[in-house]
Amino acid sequence: MLGYICKYAPVEIFQSMGTEMERIEPEVTNFNQAEIRMHPNICSFAKGVLEEIMKKDYEGVILTTCCDSIRRLYDVLKEEFPEKFIYMLDTPRITKEAGIALYEQRIRRMIGEYEKFSGKTFDEKKFLEFIKDREQEQQYAGKQGTLNIGILGARADDSMKEILRENKANIAFDLTCTGLGRKILIDEKEILAGYTRGLLGQFPCMRMEQAANRDELIRRFAGSADGIIYHTVQFCDNYAYEYAWLKEWLDRPMLLLETDYTRQSSGQIRTRIEAFLESLAPEIHRERPTGKGEKAMYVMGIDSGSTSTNAVIMDQDRKIRAFSVVRTGAKSGVSARKALDGVLEKAGLSREDISWIVSTGYGRVSIDFADENVTEISCHGKGAHYFNPKIRTILDIGGQDSKAIHLNEKGEVKDFVMNDKCAAGTGRFLEMIARTLEVSLDELGVIALTSTEKIEITSMCSVFAESEVISLIANNKEKADIADGVCHAIASKAFGLLRRVGLESDFMMTGGVAKNPGVVRAVEEKIGAGLYICEEPEIVGAAGAALYALEKYGF
Amino acid sequence: MWIADKYIDHVKEQTMEHPGESWEKMLLGFKANKLRTKLLPKKGISKGYQKLEAMMMSFVADSLGKPESYVWGNIFAPSELIGCFGLHTLSIECLSCYFSGYHLEDFFIDYAQNTGIAPTLCSYHKTFVGAIDSGAVPVPEYAVTTSLSCDGNLNTFRYLEKKKGVPFTFLDVPYRDDPESIDYLAKQLKDFAKELENRFGRKLEEEKLREAIRIENETRRALMEFFQLQSERYYPGELISHLYMMMGMHLLIGSQDFLDLIRFMIRDIRNYPKFVGKKILWIHLLPFYQETLQSYFNSSRKYQIIASDIIMDSMEEMDETKPFHALAGKIIRNLYNGSYSHKAEMVGELAKSLKPDAVIQFCHWGCKQSSGGSLLLKEKMQEMEIPMLILDGDGIDRRNSHDGQIRTRLEAFLEMLDTGEDKETSKKEEKKVC
Repeated sequence: MLGYICKYAPVEIFQSMGTEMERIEPEVTNFNQAEIRMHPNICSFAKGVLEEIMKKDYEGVILTTCCDSIRRLYDVLKEEFPEKFIYMLDTPRITKEAGIALYEQRIRRMIGEYEKFSGKTFDEKKFLEFIKDREQEQQYAGKQGTLNIGILGARADDSMKEILRENKANIAFDLTCTGLGRKILIDEKEILAGYTRGLLGQFPCMRMEQAANRDELIRRFAGSADGIIYHTVQFCDNYAYEYAWLKEWLDRPMLLLETDYTRQSSGQIRTRIEAFLESLAPEIHRERPTGKGEKAMYVMGIDSGSTSTNAVIMDQDRKIRAFSVVRTGAKSGVSARKALDGVLEKAGLSREDISWIVSTGYGRVSIDFADENVTEISCHGKGAHYFNPKIRTILDIGGQDSKAIHLNEKGEVKDFVMNDKCAAGTGRFLEMIARTLEVSLDELGVIALTSTEKIEITSMCSVFAESEVISLIANNKEKADIADGVCHAIASKAFGLLRRVGLESDFMMTGGVAKNPGVVRAVEEKIGAGLYICEEPEIVGAAGAALYALEKYGF
Repeated sequence: MWIADKYIDHVKEQTMEHPGESWEKMLLGFKANKLRTKLLPKKGISKGYQKLEAMMMSFVADSLGKPESYVWGNIFAPSELIGCFGLHTLSIECLSCYFSGYHLEDFFIDYAQNTGIAPTLCSYHKTFVGAIDSGAVPVPEYAVTTSLSCDGNLNTFRYLEKKKGVPFTFLDVPYRDDPESIDYLAKQLKDFAKELENRFGRKLEEEKLREAIRIENETRRALMEFFQLQSERYYPGELISHLYMMMGMHLLIGSQDFLDLIRFMIRDIRNYPKFVGKKILWIHLLPFYQETLQSYFNSSRKYQIIASDIIMDSMEEMDETKPFHALAGKIIRNLYNGSYSHKAEMVGELAKSLKPDAVIQFCHWGCKQSSGGSLLLKEKMQEMEIPMLILDGDGIDRRNSHDGQIRTRLEAFLEMLDTGEDKETSKKEEKKVC
């Protein structure tokens, strides 16, 4: 069996020779092998492929010169497996006649080398019969009465599609290189030349010169979708250009989704996709209450975050009856119970009085007493609108992530971006620095306001920033000035997120970090506008979740 | 604060507030710098490197001052061919470096990233995209890029064509080195020449191209001689001097002026004393702003960078009688094309003739094609018993280069080299005693 990765690989040639071909779709949990053999900044897909090949017994691999990372993957594989058929097929980027002629020559040469390697022979007539029998693969199509989602960008693995299916969304099209059916051109006179023409005539990927035509094709396809997921792979930069370009003119809501081909990121992917679906059709995939508690009208929202678990009870007049904020301990389920008990006690109610509970936040799926869950993105949107209907842009900085959300005048989410991959720009980062400066988290923001000297923290990574802070301490810099520098570093990160969703006023800040006056001032300076902060900025998500619960009953 | 620093800060602020309105001031700064390098050359570096800096400064300032005189290219674009039309090639990598003279790289990089460009993309490309997309820098009439040496080229030029309407020629460089590949690329180069003829209304005189190739061959031979001498004599330069040399070898190659400069350097270096420190062969980009590296390598008598693969990335003797094929062959056989073993071999050749004490590879953030093979090169160097250090950082964005990390690695490596020397000396001494 030979492995391959690229849609331009002439798979049928080998199949007609009786060789089994398998498209390598890495499903890895770590990059242990890649870390020894490759540089860490190589695209995650290439690293994943290396892990797969080290695990599985392929007789060889057919690679194409599709990108820089794959070129280097070839070098590593060639050295690692000298006895295997590791072949680099030089694939032209030009699809005109010159490109086709060159590619055909390359394919013929590859056949010769494989014949030598395997002892098999290639028969052009047999090949013709083989491709004639090939059925056109199933393509996706739009469906009525459901959300239609199109997938664009870099190759997407199945987990993304599974999440879409679980949420009852239909995949209207998948124009990534793994989603398209193969295009086989049959030319009985010039069999191989025809076949090569067909290969190079597929929907062009970003490495091809002709990729400019993608715009027109995307425009046509986009009509059949309610929203588009634009997928990119970490350390593969080619598709981000197209995303930046499409954002300018494509009239469809678009979610930029970066993955790294490991299983670890699946929770983050789920939150983004579900929030996106919720923003497209707030009602479509929600369960209805089943006759439970129609008379007593109290609902609850519970937001299980990494730092705090917050619960809000609301009555049918949309008034907050009580709320509780507890620190999230080692087990989110236990903290959720604590928040539940606390808020019930404050409200003077019992569990039975609550008609419907909506959970949100990272731990939303592990709260067993919730009736349903909604992502924290949608809940923050709803909550923000509830506290102040003029809000169009929310900045939420929590313990382990930060996000910017753009709302319309109805409080519906129009766009959002999240940072949950790096600690810089989150509450955790502030905690780390406060510890280093030997001040409490509360003090950090207050002393920043008394700063007199401007200090710039240049490191973008929290670990490096911490060592930068340590050297500032060593240089006898004032705590207040360092604290202020750190607040500005967080504000710069936040500003990047806010710009990506459009910077429409009014602005609101939520999450624990909104209580830090140093960060608030720094963000206000950056955006040149004031931030609305409600009395308890940590409960905005939970309030939004409670509002979702109320909507069930038409309130 | 120096007047120059104040001016830099002023232009930076203006550009960040109103990109597009400060271009004239940026340009004025480049022109002033051109005069400075001519009239008041940098002290502490050799005359050759002073002249090189002045030459590169005037090249960029003069070109930018006359928008009709240049096209955008990447560093591997065939500047010899473009030169035959009286046009200069300003490479985007080189322009990004010049913009960073105003410390604007972080503003431009953030600008690009905020529009959706990947943060993991090469910082040279991000700086350039941000500079153009923000409107801070005007655009020329035409551009050209090769697919060599990275994926960013086609995508950056295509993006700017769409956003700013700068049409470009794309030269697809095949991976394999065989006659078919050379025909394929030579044909594209011919088409490109026709495109330039049509666009700029000038006919290509093939003799001019032949002459450029003759000069190019001589320049490459002269440079190799200079490298040889630089491995023997102390010739003070700075990190940035090597970048200027790289720019010259790509953007001015084929011109008599550049050949004359290299010849001057060959004569000049002979007046300098013998170099007795450690000889370093540098691989890939040099982060010219990086303090620790500057402190160890700028005009250092202990550690001298004697050559770099980005300066000598091709060792081709070109056949002037078939100029398009010669150009195609040179590009295809460039050490950045093809497999990494091809690169390792060519670096091995350089190492064999220059006999460095050590190799340092700088893995520039976002550069997969170079970083991806660094471990393989290290193995090759180990076979040749040449110690090699891999440093991670960013050639242009200081926020991605952590000084503490670079310092620790570099110092440990240099200590290792120096200890090795001590051991060898003591071995010799032991022998003597015996």
